Amino acid sequence: MSKALLNSNIKDDFAIFEKKILNKDLIYFDTAASAQKPKIVINEINDFYNNHYSNVSRGVHTLSVESTFKYEDSRKKVKDFINAKSDNEIIFTKSATESINLIAQTFCERYMKQGDEVILSIMEHHSNLVPWYFLREKYGVVLKFAMIDEEGKIDLDHFSSLINNKTKIASITHLSNVFGTTTNKEIVKICREKEIFIMFDGCQAAAHNKIDVQDLDCDFYVFSGHKTYGPSGIGVLYGKENILNDLPPYQGGGGMISEVTLDSVSFADLPAKYEAGTPPLVEAYGLGIAIDYMNSIGIENIMQHEQELSNCALEKMKELEFVEIYGNGNKKSSIISFNLNHIHAHEVASFLDVEGIALRAGHHCCQPLMRHLKVNATSRISFGVYNDIKEIEVFIEALNKCKDFFKK
Amino acid sequence: MNDLLKDLYQEIILDHGQDPRNFGECENHNKSAKGHNPLCGDKVYVTLLVDQDDVIKDIKFSGEGCAISIASASLMTEKLKNKSLDEANKIFNDFTNLVKGSTDELRLLTEEDSLYALKGVEAFPMRVKCATMAWHTYKSATNE
Repeated sequence: MSKALLNSNIKDDFAIFEKKILNKDLIYFDTAASAQKPKIVINEINDFYNNHYSNVSRGVHTLSVESTFKYEDSRKKVKDFINAKSDNEIIFTKSATESINLIAQTFCERYMKQGDEVILSIMEHHSNLVPWYFLREKYGVVLKFAMIDEEGKIDLDHFSSLINNKTKIASITHLSNVFGTTTNKEIVKICREKEIFIMFDGCQAAAHNKIDVQDLDCDFYVFSGHKTYGPSGIGVLYGKENILNDLPPYQGGGGMISEVTLDSVSFADLPAKYEAGTPPLVEAYGLGIAIDYMNSIGIENIMQHEQELSNCALEKMKELEFVEIYGNGNKKSSIISFNLNHIHAHEVASFLDVEGIALRAGHHCCQPLMRHLKVNATSRISFGVYNDIKEIEVFIEALNKCKDFFKK
Repeated sequence: MNDLLKDLYQEIILDHGQDPRNFGECENHNKSAKGHNPLCGDKVYVTLLVDQDDVIKDIKFSGEGCAISIASASLMTEKLKNKSLDEANKIFNDFTNLVKGSTDELRLLTEEDSLYALKGVEAFPMRVKCATMAWHTYKSATNE
């Protein structure tokens, strides 16, 4: 067995694996939808509520100070996690979706007029499509869609050909949630040369790759906490400080103001400017603990482990003549989408469910991509730190059983 | 084989899933609706010919979906054909209760009905929408 694989005791870090699914051991192959939570994240969240909880950034008393410290400490952890320059560049939101909506709205308000153009791709998640559709409907912004190649990567030539003097921003997935392919960072170079802004949707990438926003040189980067072993209800928006300073506020409320009179309002500095209302402070803290957890294993080790699992699964699946795999790339970091001939993805998911295997079936919030692939739905397996080679063997056996069960 | 799966995929379901009856569009239909399951993207189109006495003279469906959704649609068309809208609506209620595992008493459906084969869906709550998609589409076609 390859030494790139993590120690199998990692399952012990997660309480969920003590649970049986219909008397079977749980095989969790749905990390791309949401990762399971290590005990330490859950315990620390408990401890926060039990021993330190109050609102942040305003109180003077001990608990408020403790809460504020923990909240801001998480911001530092996130900053280091993606190698941002400053804490001011890290905005906590409720989800990556909210982060994208925030940028779409404020960027449009500040920099765009009717007829200006945005470049997306045909394989974006709905969360990186619909916020821009709103701008198309409300303000007459024009959306263009980059095509993908055979591997399921952005076609950079096509992407480049879409840019003209009306193009203002591109918003592109960093790691496809369907193909598991990583977008070539050359794309940023193209954007720099043509002087347009670029945002990455890093929801998948942040859980599986080392992210360095300074090295990427992107303008905005978003990801969600729940896919990186943190709690639900927390998202991150990274933006270059000078750009975030230049953009207007998003939501109004407490915490984001400098001074309010009956006639006027002035706004707080970053990052508070974009954190109206009581933030998801415990969730942010939980994300910080999840980042500690990932760091304790080592991001490089996680990447290698998942790549190893992916390679193994891909190799075995390719041997099954009844399995069609989407995207012919050989490097699929932790995500593989497929169908079994003549069997709907739902059947596959229900069949595997009773074998204890959790996988995703459906359109993966990528309906335009499904249309492009001319499928209604696919099944998808995705890996996390807790998966191992033995589980892939069980999975392959289950696919065989599933094929036999639904044989015409 | 797991009993839950056996219940879910009874022979009749697999048969109707692979070889649906009344697939297509009714000629001269006077009611129709499109339905889809936003969770998975499956689609169905239901057409009906309802006469002046509110009797369903013909009902057909087309679309794409999983075995459960196609079989349910197929069995629905067999069951509702030549029923009055009043009866059909009662069957609709019975059927949705059946697959949701509701304890409400069934009024028109019995264990002898081939539709009863879909009772296995109750053990798979995430599949209830598959089983009811065509039914809700029928309902919206007749509620126009």
